[in-house]
Amino acid sequence: MIELKRISKWVMVGNKPNFILKDINLGIKEGEFVSIMGPSGSGKSSLLNIIGMLDDASEGEYFFLNQAVHGLKEKHRSQLYKQYIGFVFQAYHLIDELTVYENIETPLIYQNIKSSERQAMVADILDRFQIVGKKDLFPTQLSGGQQQLVGIARALIAKPKLLLADEPTGNLNSRQGEEIMDLFKELNKEGVTIIQVTHSEKNAGYGTRIINLLDGRVEL
Amino acid sequence: MISNFLIIAWRNLSKHRVFSFINIFGLAIGIAASLLIFQYARFELSYDRFEPKGDRVFRLEQDRFNNGKLSTQWAAGAAGIGKLVKDNLPEVESYAHLHGTNGLVVNYKDKEFRENNTVFFANDAFLPMFGYTAQKGMQAESLKDVNTAVMTASAARRYFGSEDPIGKVISMNKKKDFRVTAVVSDPPPNTHFHFDILLSFATFIQMNGPGAETAWGWDGFYTYLLLRPGTDPAAFEKKMADLVHSQWGPQMKDTKEGIAFHLQPLRDIHLYSNYMFESETNGNGRAVYFLLVIALFIIVIAWINYINLSTARSVDRAREVGVRKVLGSYRTQLVGQFVFESLLINALAVILGLLLVIGCLPVFNVITGKQISFSLLAEGWFWLVLTGLFLAGTFFSGFYPALVLSSFKPIAVLKGRLAGTGHGALLRQSLVVFQFAASVVLMVGTFAVYRQLRFMQTLDLGIRVDRTMVLKGPNVIDSTYMAKLSAFKEEMLHEPGIVSMTASTEVPGNKVKWNAGGIRLVGSDPTRVQQYRVLGVDYDFMKTYGFHFLKGRDFSKEFRSDSAAVIFNEAAVRQLGFGQPGEALNKRIEFWGKQYTIVGVVSNHHQESPQAAYDAHIFRLIPEVTDYYSIRFHGDENHSEAVMQAAKRQWAAFFPGNPFDYFYLDDHYAQQYKADEQFGKTFGVFAVLAIFISCMGLLGLASFVTIQRTKEIGIRKIIGAGTPGILLLLTRDFVKPVLLSFVLAVPVTWWLLHRWLENYASRIAVSPWMFVLPALLILVIAMGTIATQTLKAASANPSRSLRSE
Repeated sequence: MIELKRISKWVMVGNKPNFILKDINLGIKEGEFVSIMGPSGSGKSSLLNIIGMLDDASEGEYFFLNQAVHGLKEKHRSQLYKQYIGFVFQAYHLIDELTVYENIETPLIYQNIKSSERQAMVADILDRFQIVGKKDLFPTQLSGGQQQLVGIARALIAKPKLLLADEPTGNLNSRQGEEIMDLFKELNKEGVTIIQVTHSEKNAGYGTRIINLLDGRVEL
Repeated sequence: MISNFLIIAWRNLSKHRVFSFINIFGLAIGIAASLLIFQYARFELSYDRFEPKGDRVFRLEQDRFNNGKLSTQWAAGAAGIGKLVKDNLPEVESYAHLHGTNGLVVNYKDKEFRENNTVFFANDAFLPMFGYTAQKGMQAESLKDVNTAVMTASAARRYFGSEDPIGKVISMNKKKDFRVTAVVSDPPPNTHFHFDILLSFATFIQMNGPGAETAWGWDGFYTYLLLRPGTDPAAFEKKMADLVHSQWGPQMKDTKEGIAFHLQPLRDIHLYSNYMFESETNGNGRAVYFLLVIALFIIVIAWINYINLSTARSVDRAREVGVRKVLGSYRTQLVGQFVFESLLINALAVILGLLLVIGCLPVFNVITGKQISFSLLAEGWFWLVLTGLFLAGTFFSGFYPALVLSSFKPIAVLKGRLAGTGHGALLRQSLVVFQFAASVVLMVGTFAVYRQLRFMQTLDLGIRVDRTMVLKGPNVIDSTYMAKLSAFKEEMLHEPGIVSMTASTEVPGNKVKWNAGGIRLVGSDPTRVQQYRVLGVDYDFMKTYGFHFLKGRDFSKEFRSDSAAVIFNEAAVRQLGFGQPGEALNKRIEFWGKQYTIVGVVSNHHQESPQAAYDAHIFRLIPEVTDYYSIRFHGDENHSEAVMQAAKRQWAAFFPGNPFDYFYLDDHYAQQYKADEQFGKTFGVFAVLAIFISCMGLLGLASFVTIQRTKEIGIRKIIGAGTPGILLLLTRDFVKPVLLSFVLAVPVTWWLLHRWLENYASRIAVSPWMFVLPALLILVIAMGTIATQTLKAASANPSRSLRSE
């Protein structure tokens, strides 16, 4: 599903390149549940952003579902991830001015899905996540765990093939964290490919594979 | 999509109430001000535009020259020019010929009115040229025959009530009768020429001789030409000049006089014509365009507020942008969303602005002295302008912030890496500079207009205009008039409180309409003649008005030779060619075939508002004048009910059949300042509005930046900064652009002020204080505005602001 070939990322500090990622070669198949681990500054999030097409690599090739992402224009890339990728953030990043229902609905709007269809889809997922009662609340009225649940629901609403999560439990207490990880595991069983960045060994254990990063390189 | 936009826009508006209020209210004020000014400007610009043949109608403006030098310019020129061009130049389809009257007493049975500048002699070409049609009576024959008259509908109602006016006879000064042959509709308010009654010009010729159609030295005749389609005005003016030269040139040569005529397009008269004998006070084209610029300023200032507040707040919105992009939004969709928000805000502003227009219309009318009614809401152009403002506002204020906001990179903003406040800060500051520069221009302008006004009002006029009541003299008179006048005066002087009384052809505050040419020193070169403005006065005029004699003496009954005496003012003495007043004393002048001796020289006085330069005046002794009686009285007040009652009583005894018509001279004189006062007021109101909107924007920015810097303030306080230090820190950033705006505004304002003051013969000097004071005022207002926000932040407890991190 994902093929990274000799991916490097650097920023210029003064006249010297400062490498964030160096020479990454990586393949991820459909159905995997991958955890990216490593100390702060090792390039975990940068790698996730490149996979999520939110950021460009400085060098190297990236194939997503056999399409050369590195050769795509912004608009096509946007279309691609809109269709196949869902994001979950550590800080949830819900839109404060929208209700739970509207937050979850927003990606569908951007995919030009008809209103009646949207209603059905949102209703389904609210039901599944057991947050129907909270649908008219605003994010600030929810606890952290509930917000992250909404965040995941929003990431899943468009039925993505790939779920990217950047420390999804980082802001949560351990019980909430476990619930989220259980949910991930369940989703993975249903066929969603998951890549998460995490600090926690325990969370990494939910996955099927661990990739360790150190100073921008994959530790073998 | 739209409903989603609407939801988020609305929730944003209600969440950030201060910003929304500033934006909507500021825009609404801008829209309301613009609409009102547009309406005013449109009215001023609409004068005479409705005339169907208007593009072919021209008025002849006349320049008179003396020895090759321009001496006077006339809206109503020589009697003979109309007929001359009609008879000789085929381009002239027809010419309208009019002559005004002043203070005619008109009556029908017991209905009696004094008609002030509302009765004109007019030839039969006038009504068709201006598209008047008869509501009653015969159109075709109107004003052709001797002793016929045409009335407007409202004048006819005034005299005849419900009677049929056609065929009725009205009388002028109880001497001459006219038969009403037609009634026409009233002239619309937006025409430069208003009348109530027209008398046939044929009658004027019968009364005054054929010179009324042929003379070149007799001024005061309005001449309008209807030119054939396709006539080139410039070429026509040239032909006209040649014609005048060949026809009258030889006669004018004798006295070294010259005369030139110019075509004034009908539609330009109201805004661009200000010559002798204008039929009514015209508007000021420059003031109209000035106001339009102010309107533009105000609306732009409001738009700038929106741009500034939106981009400053972009940090707040950045995360939302990032999330939306991650969720799959294209940039164009985000631009759409933000423009939509601007659309919503502008729409709300338009609604509020409309309410403001409706609420402020009466006040606006008082300020501008115009009558704009609510019917403007029914006019298409109004909605067109409104829509224009709405769309332009949405575009100008919405587009830039939308581009800025939608440009954010999602990973940067989601990681909180957007440093933020620096983004567009330069642009914001530049826009603030513009706002305040505009405010400074307006504020300095307001101050200057008021100072100039005050200067003129307190200026030594060279005469007294206080405690004086003026009666309009009797028109219905007979051979006993002189005896009656003497007796009336005698009786009046016996009334308590009355100091003196004088009869004269003009009173201060009036333009002197008696312009006499051909005047020269006895024995001097007969070709070197000059024109002077002449006032006919009785023995008591100089004394009553307190003229200051530089040399010689006043008119006196002790000198029987004074019937051939004149008094000159300084300007006239200089025009005669003398450097010192004393040199002119006892010199004799030629004045229309008679010789007069200069018995006295007085200092110059402001016959008109000090806006006009001192004029060359000759005072000639004419004790039997009828135009005005000035009565000066004792007392603390400039108005006296007792004097008025006494005058009324005596008037009824001596001049029955003449309406009693009076005014107080201070009011009359102050009338001349009305236009300036209104301009000053209008200017002032909009200057205050501009500053208000600018400060609202500054308030918003200050509040935002202060919130942004809460953490910094907390840290600074912990490491020992005091409240004053913090205040200084926060204020400095805002005061800088305001100060810079002063620097930019001063040269512009300086130039504008000089241009404006050029209109005034007596004017204030442009001093640095005129800039410093308004600038300080604005600075204080701006700092006060900022202080409301910064004080709060500077005095806050740092532990609280840091805890939230």
